[in-house]
Amino acid sequence: MIAAILKAQLLSMRISASRGSRFSVITAVIWYGLWAIGAAAVYVGAAHASRAQLDVWLPGGFLAVCGYWQLVPVLSASMGAGLDMRKLLIYPAPHGKLFQVELLLRLATGAELVMVLAAGTLGLLSNPETGGWRTFPGLAAAVLIFVLFNLLLASGVRSLLERLLSRRKVREVLGIFLVMLYVAPRLLISSGARPGKLGGFLAAAGVVGLPWTAAARAGLPLGGNESRWPALAVLCGWTLAALWFGRAQFERNLRYDVMAAQATPLGDATSRVQLWKERFYRLPSLMWRDPLAGIVEKELRSLARTPRFRMVFIMGFTFGLAVWFPMVVTRHGRTPSAPPQYFLTLVCVYALTLLGQVTFWNCFGLDRSAAAIYFAAPPPIADTLLGKNIAALFFVYLEVLVLVGITVALRITRGWPRVIETLVVVGVCSLYMFGIGNLSSVHFPRGVSPQRVSQGGGSGFQGLLFLLYPLALLPVLLAYLARYALGSELAFWLVMSIAATIGGVVYWIAMESAAHAATRRREQILQELSKGEGPVAAE
Amino acid sequence: MAPDAPRTLEVMSPPAILVRGLKKFYGDKPAVDGVDLEVPRGSFFGFLGPNGAGKSTTIRILTGLIPADEGTIEILGYRLPGEELEIKRRIGLVPDESLLFDRLTGAEFLEFVGRMYGLNRATAMERARDLLDLFELRIDRKLIAEYSKGMRKRVAMAASLIHHPELFLMDEPFEGVDAVGARLMKDILIGQVKRGATIFLTSHVLEVVERLCDRVAIIHEGRIVRSGTLAELRDGGESLEDAFVRVVGAERHMERFDWL
Repeated sequence: MIAAILKAQLLSMRISASRGSRFSVITAVIWYGLWAIGAAAVYVGAAHASRAQLDVWLPGGFLAVCGYWQLVPVLSASMGAGLDMRKLLIYPAPHGKLFQVELLLRLATGAELVMVLAAGTLGLLSNPETGGWRTFPGLAAAVLIFVLFNLLLASGVRSLLERLLSRRKVREVLGIFLVMLYVAPRLLISSGARPGKLGGFLAAAGVVGLPWTAAARAGLPLGGNESRWPALAVLCGWTLAALWFGRAQFERNLRYDVMAAQATPLGDATSRVQLWKERFYRLPSLMWRDPLAGIVEKELRSLARTPRFRMVFIMGFTFGLAVWFPMVVTRHGRTPSAPPQYFLTLVCVYALTLLGQVTFWNCFGLDRSAAAIYFAAPPPIADTLLGKNIAALFFVYLEVLVLVGITVALRITRGWPRVIETLVVVGVCSLYMFGIGNLSSVHFPRGVSPQRVSQGGGSGFQGLLFLLYPLALLPVLLAYLARYALGSELAFWLVMSIAATIGGVVYWIAMESAAHAATRRREQILQELSKGEGPVAAE
Repeated sequence: MAPDAPRTLEVMSPPAILVRGLKKFYGDKPAVDGVDLEVPRGSFFGFLGPNGAGKSTTIRILTGLIPADEGTIEILGYRLPGEELEIKRRIGLVPDESLLFDRLTGAEFLEFVGRMYGLNRATAMERARDLLDLFELRIDRKLIAEYSKGMRKRVAMAASLIHHPELFLMDEPFEGVDAVGARLMKDILIGQVKRGATIFLTSHVLEVVERLCDRVAIIHEGRIVRSGTLAELRDGGESLEDAFVRVVGAERHMERFDWL
């Protein structure tokens, strides 16, 4: 049974790999190549380290492995990728066997760590100070049990997160929290934290009762061999606890009803919040006529209700702000007296690029099941693209307003000229980006799940197109260059006006081209959008 | 006319499906609200209801895909939850489309399903070939993702047959299937009932239900509003469609929509 599941999984991967996605293969080669170099470095380090160094650094190394191994399922769960075991529930497969498959998949997703651990183990065995190959049985046992502990823990963590991430609202909040974990180290370092100050943390990590320390001590006992057994017992205890946690969470996941968790509560449709939302959605009707107003309104409604979009929108003023925050924080954690003048503009343009993935970069992607209506309905496809762009601009400026509010409250942005400049810059950048986005939407469409909160959404080729963004921003950068070189505000606004005019022309030409291409390629577009997800794994 | 089923099975064995007080909530809304259901063995049972009445939710609960919030379920004499594996080994499911594995070919999918039901690989492959032939699906490299809706239903039904089940649970098996395919599927189902299997299906095509089923239950807003034999339901010789509309109260006063 396990063989049948794995065969089905491999077959699906083989087929999808043979149908394009060369970019993914290249990425995988680079990724594992880098890890192979890392593993070689670990081998050299382990083979040449002194015994005293090993005693200090080995627990830290195991802790790093454990941390990364748990981070992989966290990231994959927050991005929506992974195994969908529920599809297998209709078959008479004992849950124990499904759990074994889950563990094998956790092993596959941590292949790079297996490589590093194997290299480290070989390095230790070839180090004369550790006793060489005589230590093989103890070291191998410790490493294998540690791997099993990590697999079980990773399975439990992933199952727990998957359930939490499927809950309405919780998904977005947790997703943001997980993404913020990524920028936390950068913020720590920019606020003055140094590796030397982590001594206390490392000392705490060295307590033998913890799994990574127990693994290190079981592999390389501090005293004689007699100290190995207590460490091994501690490690086995942790592994049993991880087995209980992983199995229990996996079981709960199998019995979990996603539809019930995501059900829309029966609320009062005429509540005050609903009324405000309704006013917001009706705004386009005040500015445009149908069918354009109808398209924009539909986009506003559907995007606002799409978890994937909500996640990215929230990231714009949380993650986006945190990424650039070190610019305004000194080494001692204080804000400088004169905040960088371009902070708000940078954060807003960054938010624009983030929103691109769910609004203009692949604008038919979230409409996969209804995209045909755009080609069947009377309005020209150019109206659809324009409507989608206007809706995207609505949200872009909403994001900018939120960012202005936050930065003003934090006293990072001071004065209206900066705000006005940002509004103009974002508008001009949008012209170029929407132009490129319209072209990519019709030439490289790809259906994406609105439920998932992945940052992805474009094909590999679209990933390469992402590199064109700097080119699209070049005219705006020239305006800043003019200000810097000539020291003149007039020069800045003059060049910015030229950039806006060229942007308008570029947008118009790109729109014409995209509309023609969409009409010509409608069959391919609909076919691409209708492609389903994988049999067992998704995305 | 309903097919001839071996009635002795009804007397000797527990019902194929026995459900009491089944409830399932989505948020505050009851999707299934106290359903009682008894499906005799060897019967061809039609489970009818308007859209959103709770048919698919009931089938998903019966297949163990989602848990019930309240109620007791016995399938082929086995309790759910508790004896899922015994139940799953004995049922054939024609699910909604999302449970098909899009990136496998038809042959690969059928072989996979056979092996999941404990068939050895050679037998699974042989039966897969036979079923593809029976359902007029060509053995080629075409992925299920590229199948038409009707082909997807055919491959789903083929998969439900591969392990020779005692009970079939079918969610809209004829949806999107052309007349030839529907005829083929009906003939196969009638054959299965003749050998003693039980069929529990949902369908919006009432003519099909009228021709195939000997018993019917109608679910509306999560509750069973009528159940019994076709003759009992068609009180006074009216058509099943008329009886259905009368029972679920779906008659509309079209004069209100004069623009239509």
